[in-house]
Amino acid sequence: MSKRVLIDPITRLEGHGKIDIFINDKGDVDRAFFQVPELRGFERFAQGRPAEDMPQITSRICGVCPTAHHMASTKTLDDLYKVDPPAAAKKIRELIYSTFFVEDHALHFFFLGGPDFVVGPTAPKAERNILGVLGKVGLEIGKEVIGMRRQLRELITSVCGKVIHPVFGLPGGISKPVTKEEQQKFIEAAKHAVEFGKFCLKVFDDIVLKNQKYVEYITSDMYTHKTYYMGMVDKNNKVNFYDGDLRVVTPDGKELTKFPISDYLKHIAEHVEPWSYMKFSYLKDVGWKGFSDGPGSGIFAVAPLARLNAAAGMATPLAQEAYDRFYKTLGGKPVHFTLATHWARLIELLYAAERMAELAGDPEIISPTVRTLPTQTPKEGIGVVEAPRGTLIHHYQTDEKGLITHANLIVATQNNAARIALSVDKAARGVIKNGKVDDGILNMIEMAFRAYDPCNGCATHSLPGQMPLVVSVYDNNHQLLQEIRRG
Amino acid sequence: MKPLVLGLGNELLGDDAIGILAARELAKELSGEADIVESSLSGVSLLDLFVGYEKAIIIDAVKMAGFSPGTIMEFDLSELRSVRSPSPHFTGLPELIALAAEMKLHFPGEIKIFAVQADDPYTVGGAMSQPVKDALDDLVIRIKTHIQRGRTSEITASIT
Repeated sequence: MSKRVLIDPITRLEGHGKIDIFINDKGDVDRAFFQVPELRGFERFAQGRPAEDMPQITSRICGVCPTAHHMASTKTLDDLYKVDPPAAAKKIRELIYSTFFVEDHALHFFFLGGPDFVVGPTAPKAERNILGVLGKVGLEIGKEVIGMRRQLRELITSVCGKVIHPVFGLPGGISKPVTKEEQQKFIEAAKHAVEFGKFCLKVFDDIVLKNQKYVEYITSDMYTHKTYYMGMVDKNNKVNFYDGDLRVVTPDGKELTKFPISDYLKHIAEHVEPWSYMKFSYLKDVGWKGFSDGPGSGIFAVAPLARLNAAAGMATPLAQEAYDRFYKTLGGKPVHFTLATHWARLIELLYAAERMAELAGDPEIISPTVRTLPTQTPKEGIGVVEAPRGTLIHHYQTDEKGLITHANLIVATQNNAARIALSVDKAARGVIKNGKVDDGILNMIEMAFRAYDPCNGCATHSLPGQMPLVVSVYDNNHQLLQEIRRG
Repeated sequence: MKPLVLGLGNELLGDDAIGILAARELAKELSGEADIVESSLSGVSLLDLFVGYEKAIIIDAVKMAGFSPGTIMEFDLSELRSVRSPSPHFTGLPELIALAAEMKLHFPGEIKIFAVQADDPYTVGGAMSQPVKDALDDLVIRIKTHIQRGRTSEITASIT
C-alpha cells in the first residue's frame, strides 16, 4: 500500500508551491514531486502588442523581480532593433541592476535563508522567521537591512521612475541621464552596501560556518547533486549579471560550452512531464536522461551557486577573496552542495555592491548621451540577464512594424526546475523514514527548494496573512489516512 | 488621521485585478478621506507603505477552499494566524507587524482586510470573471461605509 503525503497550500495566501510525497508500504519515500502553478496566456497576451511595451508588460507580470524582467526585455529590444546603446547607457543600466541585486540578495538572506541557518533548521517553527534572525544578529541589523533596502529602492526610483514597474529602459539606451546629485547618492549608497556585504559574510562565518552541525547539513549527501552549471560571464570568464556570454561547466568543473545568447536554442531545450505544468530546461549538448545527476544527464543549475561554479572568479577584489575562501573551505570547484547557495548569494551581494561603487564613481555615468536611436526594421530579438534567481532569457519576433508575433520567456526557475525536483526528491528520501512526517522533517524538505528561491511566476503577491500547509497522507486508493495542518 | 487603503493585485492577471480596481473606484470617491495606494507586491515589501498610519484597509483577491467566486470576505487582524511562509514574498502580515513592533516602527493599530474570492487569477491578459466583476460595486460600498463609520466614531469620540 502506498501513501501520498501532500504539502499543499490550500489557499492562494501562501507560497503556491506544492510538494507531493508518495510513501511506500515500508513507510519510505517512493517519489516526491515539487510543483508550481502555471502562468497561462503570456504569449497570446503579448501577440500584436508593440515590442516597446514589453519591458513594462513583463515587469508587471512579475512582482518578484520586475527589474530583472525589465532589463532582459530592454536588452531584447536592443537586439530586435540591432542598436548598440551608448557606453553611458550600458553603465547606468548595470548600475541600477547592481543596486537591485544588493537589495534582493539581502532580503533573501535575512528573510528566507536566514531563518534556516541563522536560527537553525530544526529550531522551533515559531522562531524560524525574521524575528528569530534578529534575535540572533541584533535588532540594529534589522534596522540596517530595512533602512538600506529603502535607500536603494529610492535610488532606483529616482532613475527609473518606478521601482516596481521601471520605465527607463528603451531600445538603444535609457530614458534619462543620471544627474550629479544622483551620482553622489549612488556613491554613498555603494560605500554603505560594500560594508553591509562584508558584514553579511561575517554573519555567515560566525553563525553558520563556526557551527559544525550546520556545516554538516550543507555538505551532507542529502543536499548534494553533481550537475552541470550555467552562468553569464564577462570576457575574462568572471561573473557578470548584466551582460556577457553564457558559460556551462561540467560536474567536474570543466568548460562544456560558452555561447552568445543568440545561440541559446542550440544549447537549451525543454522537457515536459505529465505531472507538472513547468517545463524542465536541459542541455541539448548532453541530452535529457531523466531525473538523475552526473555527467551523462543534461540537468543543469542556474542562480548564485551555479554562477560561481560556471565562472573563473569574481571581477571585484573583495568578492574574489570571498570566492577563493568559499572553494577552499568547501573542497574545491565545483561545489555541488545546494545549501551552499546561501553563502554564494552573499558573495554575489558583495560583488554587486563593489560593482555599484565602481560604476557610480565612473565619470561617464553622468554623460548626457544615453540613447542611440534605432533605425533598423525589427524582426527578431533575444536578450539575457542573470536574475537573482538565475539566467533569464527573453525572445521576441515581430512584424516589420515592431508588433509582437511570437514571444517566449525562459525564466530562472524553469532553468532550475529539474535540479529542484532532484533536490526535493532526495531530501524527502533522506528525512522520511518509517512513515514519520512532522514539522521539522517538512522544513528539512522545504529547505531543499528554498535555497533556490524559486519564483512561482504569477504568484507575485498575496493577501498578507496565514500560510497554511496541509500534509495529507493517502493510501493507494487516495483514501485520506492522516492530515497534518501547518500554520 | 486619514487611513491607508491598499489595493493589492495585478491588473494583467484576470480576477487578480479586483483589489486594484476597487482602489481606483475608491480614489474617485474618497480622495481627501483616505490615502489610496496600489501595489503588486507582498510581505516585507509592503512594510514601508504601512509606516505612519493609525488605520489601514487592505483589498485583495484570494482563492480559498469552499467559497464561490465573487464572495466578499472581511477579516480583522486577529483572525490571521502568524506562520512562516515559504518565500520572502509571502511574509505574513502578523509577522510584519511583529517585526514593526520589535523595531519600534509606527504601524497601524487597526488593520481590516477585504478579500474577494477569485475564479482565475493566473491567466495573463485574462478577463475578469462575471461574479468577481459583479462584486466590485458592493465591495466599494462596504469599504466606503467602513471608512466613513470609522470617521464618525472618531468625530463622536472627539465631541464626548
